[in-house]
Amino acid sequence: MAKYLTKRILYSIFSVVAVVVIVMVMVYSLMDRIKVFANDANYTKLLNNQKITYRYQQWESYGYLDYVSYSDYINQLAADGEIDEGTRSAAVSIGRTAENDSEITAAYVAEFTEYYESQGYTVERYDAVMGGKKVATGGTQILFAYKDIPLINRIITYFSNLFEFDNINYVEDDVGERGLTFTLYDPLYGGEKFSPAIIGNGTYHKYLLYFDDQFPYIHQNFLTINLGVSYSISMGIDVWDTMTQTQGSYVMREVTYETGLTENSADNLHTATYVSGSQSATVVNSERYLDDYTNVSTFNFGRSKMGYSFVMGIIAVFMAYVLGLPLGVLMARYKDGLLDKIGTLYIIFIIAVPSLAYIFMFKAIGGSVFGLPTTFNMESSSKLYYVLPIVSLALPSIGNLMKWMRRYMIDQMNADYVKFARSGGLSETEIFSKHIMKNAAIPIVHGIPGSVLGALTGAIITERVYVVPGAGNLLTSAIGTYDNGVIVGVTLFYAVLTVTSIILGDLLMSMVDPRISFTTKDR
Amino acid sequence: MSDKELFEKYDMPAEELFGRIDHNELESEKITAPRYSYWKSVFRVFFRKKINIVMLCLLGLIIVMSYLYPTLVEYDKYGNVLDAATKHLRPLAAMKLLGYNIHWILGTGAAGNSTFDAVWYGAQISISLAFVCALINLSIGVVVGAVWGFSKKVDAIMMNVYNVVANIPYVLLISVLVMLFSPSFWTMVFALTVTGWISIAYFIRTQVIIIRDREYNLASKCLGTSTPKIALKNILPFMTSVIVTLAATEIPSYISYEVFLAYIGMGLSDMSLGRLIYEAEGAMVTPGWEFEFWSPVAVSAIVSIVLYVVGQNLGDASDPRTHM
Repeated sequence: MAKYLTKRILYSIFSVVAVVVIVMVMVYSLMDRIKVFANDANYTKLLNNQKITYRYQQWESYGYLDYVSYSDYINQLAADGEIDEGTRSAAVSIGRTAENDSEITAAYVAEFTEYYESQGYTVERYDAVMGGKKVATGGTQILFAYKDIPLINRIITYFSNLFEFDNINYVEDDVGERGLTFTLYDPLYGGEKFSPAIIGNGTYHKYLLYFDDQFPYIHQNFLTINLGVSYSISMGIDVWDTMTQTQGSYVMREVTYETGLTENSADNLHTATYVSGSQSATVVNSERYLDDYTNVSTFNFGRSKMGYSFVMGIIAVFMAYVLGLPLGVLMARYKDGLLDKIGTLYIIFIIAVPSLAYIFMFKAIGGSVFGLPTTFNMESSSKLYYVLPIVSLALPSIGNLMKWMRRYMIDQMNADYVKFARSGGLSETEIFSKHIMKNAAIPIVHGIPGSVLGALTGAIITERVYVVPGAGNLLTSAIGTYDNGVIVGVTLFYAVLTVTSIILGDLLMSMVDPRISFTTKDR
Repeated sequence: MSDKELFEKYDMPAEELFGRIDHNELESEKITAPRYSYWKSVFRVFFRKKINIVMLCLLGLIIVMSYLYPTLVEYDKYGNVLDAATKHLRPLAAMKLLGYNIHWILGTGAAGNSTFDAVWYGAQISISLAFVCALINLSIGVVVGAVWGFSKKVDAIMMNVYNVVANIPYVLLISVLVMLFSPSFWTMVFALTVTGWISIAYFIRTQVIIIRDREYNLASKCLGTSTPKIALKNILPFMTSVIVTLAATEIPSYISYEVFLAYIGMGLSDMSLGRLIYEAEGAMVTPGWEFEFWSPVAVSAIVSIVLYVVGQNLGDASDPRTHM
C-alpha cells in the first residue's frame, strides 16, 4: 500500500508541476506582456520616455526580463570603488542625444554598451523628447539594457522558492547573538501567563511558534509558502497571504509594545518580521520596538478570503450530504412515487437551468419573500448574511447528490444479492438500510474529500452575486487585471487540492469497502 | 352445451375457427419473429410518453424562433437609441408607445431596443455554440475514449494527460485564448473544445472498460473477431444510449457555461444570451426594468430544460432494454 501510495503521490506531483508549467507558458509567453499595464493607473499617467522606463522596471519586477539602467551601472561602479565620485557625477548624466554626450560620458556609455551586449542584453537609448525648447514632461533621455529571462529559468526559480524555511541566518545585518529561544511564558502576554512560544533572532519572523486566540490558535512561521507575488490584486503580497489574511476594519485592542508603551492598536505583534534599519527609521517605531522586527500585520474584523469561502462552503457541503443523501435514498426506495417525481423535477431543474439563472432566482426569492440580506456585509456580525450564499451553494449540490444516490441505489436494487436477501425473507427496510445503502454509498464516499477541500477554493458565481469577499473570485479577477503571479499561484493551489482530494477519495473508498484494493495487480 | 351454443353465447361465427393447411417444406424452414428495427423501436418508445411530444413541439418552436425569426425581422439594436422615451419600458408602456406588435411584448432594453428580438438573436448564437461544441467534443471524445478504453498502453499515457489537462483552470484557458485571438464565435468554440473533449473521452473510456471484458466480447474475441469489429459491432450499439444521454447533459451545459463566461466578463462579443444577461444584470434589481434581465434568463432556462428532457428521454428510449 505504501509503495502504491508513493507512486500515486509522485505521479500527482508530476501532474501538478506540468499544470503549472503549462499555465506559466500560457500567461508568460502567449499573453502579450503589454497587457499587464491594462489596469495600471500609474502607467496611463506617465508620458514619453518615463513610460518606457516604468514599463521595463515593472517587467523586471514581474519577472519578464532583467533590466539595468545606465545610471544603475555607473552607481554600481562607484559603489564597487572602480570610479571615484567626481567621475561618477560626470559620467552619470547622458546627453539629450548621443552626439551631445560629454567625452567621459561617451566613453562610459560605450563601455556599458559593450559590456551588456557581450552578455546578450539589448541596449536601448531613447533621445530626449522635446516640447518646444524645453524637454517635454517625462521626456528625459534614457539609456538602459535588458535581457529576457527564459521561461525555464523562471519555472525553476518559482518551484525552488515555493517553500521557504526560516533560519537564523536569514538576516544579513549584524543582529547580535543569533538563535532560537524557547519560552513557556510568551513575553507578549506579560511573561506570566502560560503560553509556549519559540522566538528567533536572526530569523525573518520573530515568533516562529506561538499561541493566540485566533483560529487555529497555534501558529508557526518556520515554513512559509510562496505561491507567487501579486501585482495588481494586492500589491506585493504573496498569493497565499492574500488568501489567508483577514480583511475588513481594524479590531482595536490594548497592545503593550516591547518598550512598555501601551496603546490602543490593531497590531498583531506575533507577526513581526524583520525590516532592515526600520527601528531607527521612524519615531513611531523607535518608541514601540527594541529591534528591527517592526513589520506587523493587523487584527481585522472580517475573515480571510479563504476563511469566508471555507465557512460558507463547508456548511453548504454538510447540508448537501445531510439532506441530499436521505432524499436520494427515499427517492429510490419509493421509486415512481410522488417524492421521486418531485425530486426528479428538481434534479432536472438544477442540471438544465444555467447556474447563474437559478442563483439569481434564489437571490430574488430570498430577498423579497424571506427578507434576507442579499449583499454580504463584512463589518456586520449578523449571521443572516451567510444564509443566502450558503443556500445558493447547497441547493445545487443537494440536487446533484440526490441524482447520484438515487442512481446508485437503483442500480444496486437489481443486483442478485438483493434478490437473495429478499428470498431469504428480509424486510424491505432491512434490505435497504443494511445492504443496498452500504454498497451504494461507496462511490459517494469517494467524492467527500473533494467537496470538503473544494470548499476552500470558493464559488465564483455565488460569491460574485452576493458580493462575498471570498477566494472564488481570485482567479477571475487576476485574469481580468492580468495579475500573472496570482494566476500561477492560484492554479498551483487548485491543482494541489484536486490531486489531493482524488488520492484521499481513493483511500477513503478503500477504507470503507475492504473489497477495493489498489495494491493487487488485477483488480 | 354444444359448440354451436357456445359460439352464439360469445357472439362468434358458427364456423370452425381452425383450418388445415398443407405442409410446406419451405415455410417450415423460416424462423419467424416480430420484425425488429432498432430506430423504429427507439421512436416508438420515445413517443409513448406524451411529455416528449410536448417537449419536441417546444423544441421545434424554439428552433423556429431562434433560426427563422431573426432572418424574417430586421433587428437594429440602436434603431431607437436617440429617443430617450423608449428606454427601459415595460411591455404595456412599450406597446402603447411603439405600436401593438410582437416586438414589444417583452418591453424595451437600455437602447430602446426590442427585448423580444434581442433574446431570439441571442438564443440563435447560444444554441449554435452549444450544438457545435457538443458535436465536436462528442465526436473527438467518443473516438479517443474508445481507443483509450481498448488499449492499455494508451490508457497509461492518457491517464497522465488527463490528470494534467483536467487541472488547467477552464476559465484561464478560455481567457488566454480569447486574449490571443478575439472573443468571436469560433474562438469560443475552439476554447471550449480544445480541452473539453477529454472529460467526455474519460467517461467513454470508463464505459468501454466496463463492457470490454464482458463474456460475450471475450467469446467474440476467441472466435477471431478483429478489435475494430468488436468496437463497432459489439460495443458501439451498447454505447448508443450512453452517448445520447451524454449529449443531453452536454448541450445544456454549454449554454450554461456560455452564460457563466459572459457573466464574469469573458464571453462572446456577439449578443448571445449570456451577454444579454451580463449586460442587463443591473436591471434585475431596478423596478420596472426586470423584463430585460429575466427574459434572457427564462429563455436560456427553457431552452436548456427542453433540450435536456428530450435528450434524456431519447437516451432512455435508445436503450434496447426499454423496447419490450
